[in-house]
Amino acid sequence: MGMPGGVPILFREVSVAPGPLLETRNVIKRFTGVIALKGVSFAVETGTIHGLLGENGAGKSTLVKIIAGMQAPTEGEILLDGTPVVAFDVKAMEGHGVFLVTQEPAVVNELSVAENLMLGRWPRRGVWVDSRRMYDLATQFLEGTGLDPRASAGVLSAVDRRKLNILRALHSGGRLIILDEPTTALTTADRRALFDFMRRLKANGVTFLFISHYNEEILEICDSVSVLRDGVLVVGGQAVSALDSEALSTMVLGRGLELFHRARGAAPAPEEPAWRFLDIRGRGLVIDRLDIRPGEIVGFAGLPGSGAQETGRALYGLLPVSGTIAFGTQTFRIPTDPATALKRGIAYLSDDRLKDGIITIESIRNNIVLSSLSSVSVAGFLRPARERSVVERFFEMLAIKARSPDQAVAALSGGNQQKVCLSRLLATGPKLLILNEPTRGIDVGVKEEVHRIVDRLARSGVAVIIVTSDLDEMLRTVDRVILFVDGRPVGDRAAASLTKDEILREAFSTRPGHTVRKFELEAGAKPA
Amino acid sequence: MSANIEPNTGTADSLRSNASVPKIWRYALQKGLQYVVWIWLVGLIIIFSILNPFFFSTSNLQNVLVQATVLGLLGLAQSLVLLVGEIDLSVAANAGISSALGALAIQHLGMPSFVGAAIGLAVATLIGLVNGLCVTRLRMVSLIESLGMMIMLQGGLLAITQGNTITDLPNAYTWIGKATLDGWPVMPIMLLAGFAAMGVMLQRTVLGRSLYATGGNAATAFVAGIRVHQIKIIAFTLSGFVAGLAGYLLGAWQMAITSDQGEGFLLYAIAAPIIGGVSVFGGRGGTLGILGGVLLLTVIHVGLAIIYVPSFYVTMIGGILIFIAVAVDAIRVNAIGGL
Repeated sequence: MGMPGGVPILFREVSVAPGPLLETRNVIKRFTGVIALKGVSFAVETGTIHGLLGENGAGKSTLVKIIAGMQAPTEGEILLDGTPVVAFDVKAMEGHGVFLVTQEPAVVNELSVAENLMLGRWPRRGVWVDSRRMYDLATQFLEGTGLDPRASAGVLSAVDRRKLNILRALHSGGRLIILDEPTTALTTADRRALFDFMRRLKANGVTFLFISHYNEEILEICDSVSVLRDGVLVVGGQAVSALDSEALSTMVLGRGLELFHRARGAAPAPEEPAWRFLDIRGRGLVIDRLDIRPGEIVGFAGLPGSGAQETGRALYGLLPVSGTIAFGTQTFRIPTDPATALKRGIAYLSDDRLKDGIITIESIRNNIVLSSLSSVSVAGFLRPARERSVVERFFEMLAIKARSPDQAVAALSGGNQQKVCLSRLLATGPKLLILNEPTRGIDVGVKEEVHRIVDRLARSGVAVIIVTSDLDEMLRTVDRVILFVDGRPVGDRAAASLTKDEILREAFSTRPGHTVRKFELEAGAKPA
Repeated sequence: MSANIEPNTGTADSLRSNASVPKIWRYALQKGLQYVVWIWLVGLIIIFSILNPFFFSTSNLQNVLVQATVLGLLGLAQSLVLLVGEIDLSVAANAGISSALGALAIQHLGMPSFVGAAIGLAVATLIGLVNGLCVTRLRMVSLIESLGMMIMLQGGLLAITQGNTITDLPNAYTWIGKATLDGWPVMPIMLLAGFAAMGVMLQRTVLGRSLYATGGNAATAFVAGIRVHQIKIIAFTLSGFVAGLAGYLLGAWQMAITSDQGEGFLLYAIAAPIIGGVSVFGGRGGTLGILGGVLLLTVIHVGLAIIYVPSFYVTMIGGILIFIAVAVDAIRVNAIGGL
């Protein structure tokens, strides 16, 4: 199959006819009594990446559902190539080339990449799948994407799974791809790979509608942006080149977002007993000693697999490692399970709420007291009054937006689910708090709220560890950053004197051995 | 992983659409659907009573409750395991073999009746513990593990009885099957006591919360500091104990232990909790629902006999009614988003 000029079919540059691919005209969506969309008119130009921003509940997902054909608008029109859409039906929209790629990549692990690519539409010979033709076609289609058609989909990395979903939509004739928070759970490097991929497809005339909570991502990848607030389109198709992160936040919130910056120098006197982690070995970790004082917020930075994440998990008993912890007058082994860690005053916030942070089918109340059942019971019997007071205290303290604590957690927005999760930790009265990606997947507004809560806790004497890949956020919310490379803490510096670039440079360039010392010397910090 | 591109569970929007329905109606609908099994039950009692007024007589209703006792306890035993997201196919066989071993201890070793009954309970509890250990420590899949256990226990019962029925049980052993208090049989008291204890345990104790949490999301429960394996072992062990109690009551009531004692109860013991709203995926269900499911199945069973449905059709019609009940429950779960 000769390729003209040797350019893979997916990445041949084409000239696109200017004009909107998608246009919505005065779209109104009414649910019994409530108006979710109040007359939204915007247009997405062919061959562009268009960002769609808005807080949870602003109407984003309703708009996306209408565009993807999952719901019909109450009033108004959707136009594709200038022609009004008549049937609101997922299959019909896909027929027009509109595909929604959700947060959860839908890939069948047991099948190969090619089989996934043509899922349900495999070339056939009678009742049999024509494998040779399928692989020939797939090889041709996938050229230049870095995906092996014969590889099992089960072994694909997170970013390749997302690519595969996009490719499947394109292979089915997709022209407008709606990406709903596609970077969730992707590493920085993966994100970059995904964005490069999108840019190359864009050059080929593919149009993207890109939904994200992260301003930086919108600024990096999008050509233009539309913002929804309370069902109203406040900004429609504004060029991104003239915007910055602060402007985006202001557009989303309708007011200036006051970024939280931790006041430094408020650290308690050094004579207070510190948490001391000693001789941690196992799972690639080599930590001789780390100290964290009560009242201090320490950021663990590092590339995936560098040990930052792993150390956070290990201290809570989620990874089998050896080592000891000294706190005050006590010395004990690294906890072997979360129950033991909690007894020692250590609490941990999971980076994946839905997987192991909350129980969605249970009430807010049950989730909040889940880790402190023994303190609200006597001899195994729950004391309702005690339980109620604990639940109400945190329900109010963290301002959880729900009708009552009896509501199921499933009905809450991501930010409020995160607050429920935090409440569960705080109800245990922790002395050491380990927060793994505490602001992942939540609104910009709630993010700052979370930072303020954590700051308040630290002021009350809790030692806090934050593991996050969002370095901008880390630098303004922690006192000290510990950088991990190859399972070792290689640098320890005050956050005030660090920049994001410095951390990134060292994280990428530092190799164990001779270069390790370089960072420490340059940083002028004592070895951890 | 599902190959479908599933609709985003856009919670904020669905929340809005719900909030707009008048609160009181939503509440009534939810509560009504939640106890749909009880509406069914009342409806069937009325229908059977019209078809044969004897159905509504005190003596027949007492009979229904007596008949419901063994099924009820086996349903509780099954629910304990379903709540943590597992299943135990060996509960009925456990009831059979444990009571047989107790009875044989009385007949062949000359033990007093209460010791025999206690031996039965101890054996049943031990079998539950073994199930729990296999599922947690050895990570065996409970469906297959308990299937194997069930076949072993059934075979074991056949072997120790040599195919014969154990009869001539002492009066002290069978007393509870016939005893009455003020004209009311004692058996249903055991049933209600069992459900009351289960209700208190689930609603008011740390163990109950831990069972729900383990079934609701085992990974979260573990990270939240609940020893999930331990909770599952407790669930299986308690389940074994309750199955043993059911076995003893069945033997005492029938005054005999057959070589396939209990077998017929298994599927009904699974159906009753599910009809009553217990989720096979764990984490969902309550005592009132289970009781409703048990009574519903028993009413169908007794009612069809009382209105003289020819016996060839009883099983089929019973099956159809159960089928409808489960379908209604599925609609309920969809309608209220599984609250």
